Amino acid sequence: MTYPQERIRNFCIVAHVDHGKSTLADRMLQVTGLVDPRKMRDQYLDRMDIERERGITIKAQTVRMPYRPLGDVGDEFLLNLIDTPGHVDFSYEVSRAIAACEGAVLLIDAAQGLEAQTLANLYLALEANLEIIPVLNKIDLPAARPEEVAEEIGSVLGVEPTGVIRISAKDGTNVDAVLDAVVDRVPPPSGRADAPTRALVFDSVYDPYRGALVYVRVVDGRIRLNDRIRMLATGFEGEVDTLGVQSPEETEVLELGVGEVGVLSASIKSVENAKVGDTVTTAGRGAADVQQLPGYQEPLAMVFSGLFPLDSDDFPLLRDALDKLRLNDASFSFEPETSVALGFGFRCGFLGLLHLEIVMERIDREFNIPLVTTSPSVRYRVTLTDPPDAQGRPRILEVPNPQDMPDSGRIASVAEPTVTARILTPKEALGPIMQLCEQRRGEMLAMDYLTPERIELKYRLPLAATITDFFDQLKSLSRGYASMDYELSEYVEAPLVRVDLLLHGEPVDAFSAIVHRDDAYHFGRAMVEKLKELIPRQMFDIPVQAAIGAKVIARETIKAKRKDVLAKCYGGDVSRKRKLLEKQKEGKKRMKSVGSVEIPPEAFVSALRVSRDG
Amino acid sequence: MGRLSGVSGMTDQRRSTHAWLTTPLESGTAAGFGVYLHVPFCHHRCGYCDFATEAVGGLAADEREALMQRYVRALEADLAAQAAVGELPTVTSVFIGGGTPTLLPPDELARLVRAVSRELDVADGVEITVECNPETADEELFGVLAEAGVDRLSMGAQSFDPAVLGVLDRLHRPERTAEAVRLARAAGIPRIGLDLIYGTPGEDDASWRASLAAVLTIGVDHVSAYALGVHANTPLGRAVAAGLVPPPDDDVQRERFDEARELLRGAGFVHYEVANFARSDALRSRHNVLYWRHGDYLGVGVGAHAHRDGRRWWTTRSTSRYLDAAEASVADRDARDDMGRMRTVTEEEQLDVDARALERLMLGLRLVEGLHPFDVPPLAVEALDDAVRLGLITMSCGRLQATESGWYLLDETVRRLAA
Repeated sequence: MTYPQERIRNFCIVAHVDHGKSTLADRMLQVTGLVDPRKMRDQYLDRMDIERERGITIKAQTVRMPYRPLGDVGDEFLLNLIDTPGHVDFSYEVSRAIAACEGAVLLIDAAQGLEAQTLANLYLALEANLEIIPVLNKIDLPAARPEEVAEEIGSVLGVEPTGVIRISAKDGTNVDAVLDAVVDRVPPPSGRADAPTRALVFDSVYDPYRGALVYVRVVDGRIRLNDRIRMLATGFEGEVDTLGVQSPEETEVLELGVGEVGVLSASIKSVENAKVGDTVTTAGRGAADVQQLPGYQEPLAMVFSGLFPLDSDDFPLLRDALDKLRLNDASFSFEPETSVALGFGFRCGFLGLLHLEIVMERIDREFNIPLVTTSPSVRYRVTLTDPPDAQGRPRILEVPNPQDMPDSGRIASVAEPTVTARILTPKEALGPIMQLCEQRRGEMLAMDYLTPERIELKYRLPLAATITDFFDQLKSLSRGYASMDYELSEYVEAPLVRVDLLLHGEPVDAFSAIVHRDDAYHFGRAMVEKLKELIPRQMFDIPVQAAIGAKVIARETIKAKRKDVLAKCYGGDVSRKRKLLEKQKEGKKRMKSVGSVEIPPEAFVSALRVSRDG
Repeated sequence: MGRLSGVSGMTDQRRSTHAWLTTPLESGTAAGFGVYLHVPFCHHRCGYCDFATEAVGGLAADEREALMQRYVRALEADLAAQAAVGELPTVTSVFIGGGTPTLLPPDELARLVRAVSRELDVADGVEITVECNPETADEELFGVLAEAGVDRLSMGAQSFDPAVLGVLDRLHRPERTAEAVRLARAAGIPRIGLDLIYGTPGEDDASWRASLAAVLTIGVDHVSAYALGVHANTPLGRAVAAGLVPPPDDDVQRERFDEARELLRGAGFVHYEVANFARSDALRSRHNVLYWRHGDYLGVGVGAHAHRDGRRWWTTRSTSRYLDAAEASVADRDARDDMGRMRTVTEEEQLDVDARALERLMLGLRLVEGLHPFDVPPLAVEALDDAVRLGLITMSCGRLQATESGWYLLDETVRRLAA
């Protein structure tokens, strides 16, 4: 059934993790009668296990809800709730989901107040001219401070605090008022039914049986089953095999009209052919006047890490796993990499640290391949001292892997990517957080009091500083109350050096890291001490050194072991002793070697954890 | 991968691939045949000990005596049942260990010794050793043992530092050891060995040196010096895991051992096995040499291990389970298998050729003379070259021997050879 344009409302919920977005969405499903309360699972809309466990939504979900406000005698309204991914690494995906809506429910936990990430997404929604419906959730909690938080929202939005709807998604209080506000205040979609079809791809998910499932919002025209479609950015062409809406289970439809939201498949082999932000059209190639919808971006990997199987026999399994993940995640990239220490693996690119962690977790959970992961790195931009190119421009090298950093003699300067970070903190933690930002080479851009109790800080920080333990530190300094969001900013020159770790004079490529000159000694010292602790003593002394180029900045020695057997061994000890040796022999096969030094793979895992924690 | 049968290309065409197992010259079946009898009783369980023991210090005298008598009867029955199967080789050594065998009433202990020669064919000049704690020693005991044919005592001195003995939960005073040795000699037991433990928390260089000096003053013909091992399921192991007691330091233990080695060799002892010294080769512990030569032996009693024809088996570590099974199997023929072993309390492992090869190396290289060329299992040429190059192994006259550093790093050496 196609709804008339003026009866359609497309909206999303902007909220911080844990503020109750999925609970509210679940409650809406019940209020609109789509889901029987008895069949309700918690957080119906969060489908992936990882999301459910981490309490975050990675992939957008969408649900179509017919709704008639109480006392309304006219036709039903069609509400499309477009769920948004909930993390900074996925802000582009968020922006596309927002672009598919006309309104946003701004959902704030009445105990926690505004969080940086909510604010960032709110700004995205405001930029997209969405109608904002502020809602306070969890008013039933004893710790709720509805007056204070309403004031905070009021000051950010420039509205009266009294206009903020107060609900409890948990017990259902006032959820219908939110739906009524969506009907009343969110404008209907404004596209033209008679224009050439344009639909915005706001998500795509890989399905092993149907290929990519493409979530679209029809902006102009319409899409029908069996239509021939074309993706304007990727150039993919195909025929619509299935067309459906989710309410919340998928239901087939024959047509999606202007303003409608649905999901299609067209035998698309990988999500790479149906990228978020792309435009679907039914117009053939001849129709050159079809304009791409604004805002499309190629996904850009910002954080890189080497992934190596702990057991080198697992390499083909890892390759298959990455191929499969890539089918479902166009923003994840990888290419083969060889490490002297770790053997064959892959250099992988991610949107950010959380994206990296999610991919790691999926490899572990879905494929169960134990991995060694090298410290995350960013893409440095190195200006070389080489003669300029034919156009007289200096030669520039992009370095996503510390190992590829050229010799210092060839480096004129190094620039690193920075971010603009927005940090919201209670005033008690202001001092320590500013100190943290300074330590991480941050530059303060602004400081605003949202309320007398809460402060918004803006810093420019090296991206590299935010992919270590920065976020954990922020949380611990503020006892969990500070939050952060960031957007990428420009490249900035910095005195960066590559620190190498050497075992017995051999560099261990996997441990090389690019750090600020001032941090090099500290990093080198921490690493040599950790390696001394982690690498078992061997038959000879092993010098462990940290070096910048040829200059050693820290050194320890792993002393040769002088005995491994001085205990008794009589008749009753033989079986146990033999089994121990057999186990050690097995362990030896798994050892990674650097020169003549044998390193248990677990030592890599632990040492790299240290280097990541800065 | 190339494999050499025998060492350094001395392949005798007439010898089969498994000649090192089937027709060894010094090892395996050529090493003799032993009987080990286990007596689990101890006054109390020491904090570091992970042997099969049964603390009887808390029992009333009559209860204790009854339990011990019951146990000795069970041992005799068990030994008789295993011997009755027949075709056991001639016994060249007997070792009664524990626990504290000398907690048994002297007559009961003597019964055990006699049971062996009654049930089995025993060689002339068989070595019969009894393990003994200094605090249990007295004239009567030693007299009875000598009379029964015991010709060797292995005495657990452990240390001559009262503080260290305290940490080890040992009951005797240091001077008691010298007294016990004197009494044993007076009773006519010709060979006496002392055990020492080093690397105990609380021990220092001086106290270790003092212990060694005391050993030399007492004048025995055999010394075993063991690095204190920390076993997870002991009070000491738990204390170390909890951080209450520092773990033994490998380097310190090596230094202590070097000290012992220097002093003992200076006093004329031969360092013949990783942890063992004897005044002459004739005074080595023959029974223990049998273990290191990968020989066969019967094990009778609680938690006792046995080895024969590429099989190892052992009984339950629970005294009550052992007693119940032994008593039940007197009346029930089916309770024992075709080798006379009690089915319900025996566990066995069959060793494949690789496991036996690993054992041959792991045990044989503990002895200073290493392995006879014909007794060496097949080795990968690369592994052998590697071990030689690293200075862990030498070959003199075709014998495979650990070098001095290979001896101390024997685990590493064997792992490399058996790779």
